[in-house]
Amino acid sequence: MLQYWTAILSEAAIFGILALGIDMIWGWAGDFDLSAYAYFALGVYMTMVLTIGKPTSPVEYILGYHLPYLLAVGIAVVIVVAFASIIGAIALRSLREVYFSITTLGAVWAIYYLVENYTPLFNGYNGVYGLFDPMGGGLSYAAYHYFFFAFCLLALFLVYLVVQRLSRSPFGRMVRAVRDDERAASVYGRNVFWAKYRTYLFGAGLAGFAGGLFAAYIGAFNPLDWKPTEIFVLYAAILVGGRGNPRGVILGSFIVYVGFVEMTRYIPSPASRPELGPALRQILIGLLIILMLKFRPSGIFPERLGTDGTEPKRSLRTLFRRRPSGEESSEGLATADATGGAQA
Amino acid sequence: MSIFWISIGMGLAVAAILALSAVAFTLEYAVSRVVNLAHGEVLTIGAYAAYVGETNFHLNLYMCAVVATIAGSLAGMGLNFFLIEQFRNQKALSTLIATLGASLILQNLLLIGFGGASVSYSFAQGNLLHVGPFLWTVLTIKVMISTLIVAAIIYVMIQRTRIGKALRAVSQNRDLARVSGIPARQVVMHTWALAGAVSGFAGFLYGETVGTITPSIGNGFLLLSITAAVGGGLGRPYATLGGALVLGLVMSIAGTYTSSAYQLVIAFGFLVVMLLIKPNGIFVRGKAQMVRA
Repeated sequence: MLQYWTAILSEAAIFGILALGIDMIWGWAGDFDLSAYAYFALGVYMTMVLTIGKPTSPVEYILGYHLPYLLAVGIAVVIVVAFASIIGAIALRSLREVYFSITTLGAVWAIYYLVENYTPLFNGYNGVYGLFDPMGGGLSYAAYHYFFFAFCLLALFLVYLVVQRLSRSPFGRMVRAVRDDERAASVYGRNVFWAKYRTYLFGAGLAGFAGGLFAAYIGAFNPLDWKPTEIFVLYAAILVGGRGNPRGVILGSFIVYVGFVEMTRYIPSPASRPELGPALRQILIGLLIILMLKFRPSGIFPERLGTDGTEPKRSLRTLFRRRPSGEESSEGLATADATGGAQA
Repeated sequence: MSIFWISIGMGLAVAAILALSAVAFTLEYAVSRVVNLAHGEVLTIGAYAAYVGETNFHLNLYMCAVVATIAGSLAGMGLNFFLIEQFRNQKALSTLIATLGASLILQNLLLIGFGGASVSYSFAQGNLLHVGPFLWTVLTIKVMISTLIVAAIIYVMIQRTRIGKALRAVSQNRDLARVSGIPARQVVMHTWALAGAVSGFAGFLYGETVGTITPSIGNGFLLLSITAAVGGGLGRPYATLGGALVLGLVMSIAGTYTSSAYQLVIAFGFLVVMLLIKPNGIFVRGKAQMVRA
């Protein structure tokens, strides 16, 4: 039982990292990105093909090295970010909101069908498998299990620290200001595309990292079991937790993920109708998304603005102030500095 | 007779169905400013309704088409009533995410209702006919003629009737239309009924020509409809028709030289090229700096 729970919680921790990545793009920058699944899956695939060695005859995939696991994850993240830089450049250059979303939707399905049908890439719809206990060393099965659980929690905690720090930093505030009013932000000298683009790449990198961890967790990955719809549960989790609030997002993914796994475990799924349980689960996720959006769009833990501790929701002028007091800004933000000085 | 012309012929049939689906999608956008990600599921509902009509009630080809149309229309009205109108005062992006949830719900309800295995109609395909350089079955020709008729009906409705005039007014500015005494809510409901009916019919035609129906056929059709609508001009029915024809031809020509499995990949490439060159649509005049909705 304990092992069952640690397995569920390891998975929730991995999805928490993925949710933080999605939330940076959706919550902070306001771009509803549907291709996060592609970055997650690419992270899984790249980690796999970099660690499991050469493919044997009927199976085929690219690369096929025997690198140490952590190095492989690192390379996977780099590749994912490089890939995201192409999609992001297309989708963010002159498209916003709904147009951005449908471009990323098109991208994720196009990539999905490409991976499923083009076998030399990642072995088509059979997927890749064979990554077991990559950090095991001499540990027994049970001990490795707990070690991996601790490793996932540690990774989530470190990612949380970085994300929370970024969220409160001038960068985090700038991205949110761009989200709230692009025109005003660009009048104040911010490069709108560059702000959104950097957030996009960071979020995609986190998704790739989550994919790297997930590769070690699950050991096998294929397009039939992992459709892009599988991560919609995370959109529900982010909505429940609170868009733009890293703490809320992590709590949301634990609540929704663990809640769903536990709740749907007791839905009877007769042998003649194996699809019943998963289908009901997806329906509940859809309902959760709609009901949250309708009745509490800011989630249980709403985004917290105004990181100086004074008057939250002060909008642009407060957010654009570079330093709390004193120091002159050389970039000639006269208005911002004037109001900033007055308040400080 | 070259393979090329035969595949162009099939491409025309697919493009005709695609055109109906994309026009329905664009009409929904025109009146409600919503990118309806549950659009594919309305097609699927139409396709399954006709399947139930054929297998359980032994209806003929034409009655099945009517059943699919009615089912699609009801689905469209239901979506508008229970979802779109509830989100009317929210941002377009919130409504888009809500329709994503709706798509998940509908697709899985269909999965529970009909199972995951693919089903197909058993209507006779009819003889093969050579028309010019093309090779079509009688059924395919019926499909193409019926799409022309439906397109003509849509054109007459939009351009010549009071409902169409109200529709155009609401699509330009809903508040202004209401101030001028147009019952906007009712007009939007009628438009969704029309769009749903056209989608349901398109779903039936898809099942008839392609042959297999599963609960997830909506995904592919949604993407192709979006590509056609955005490529042609989102919210503009005639531009969308043009976009669908261009997309259908591009896909069938490219499909001649590669596997049909890459259809969606090609469609996405088309969408990207369109968005980079002319983000507000091929058939829309003017140049957009930044596209937002």
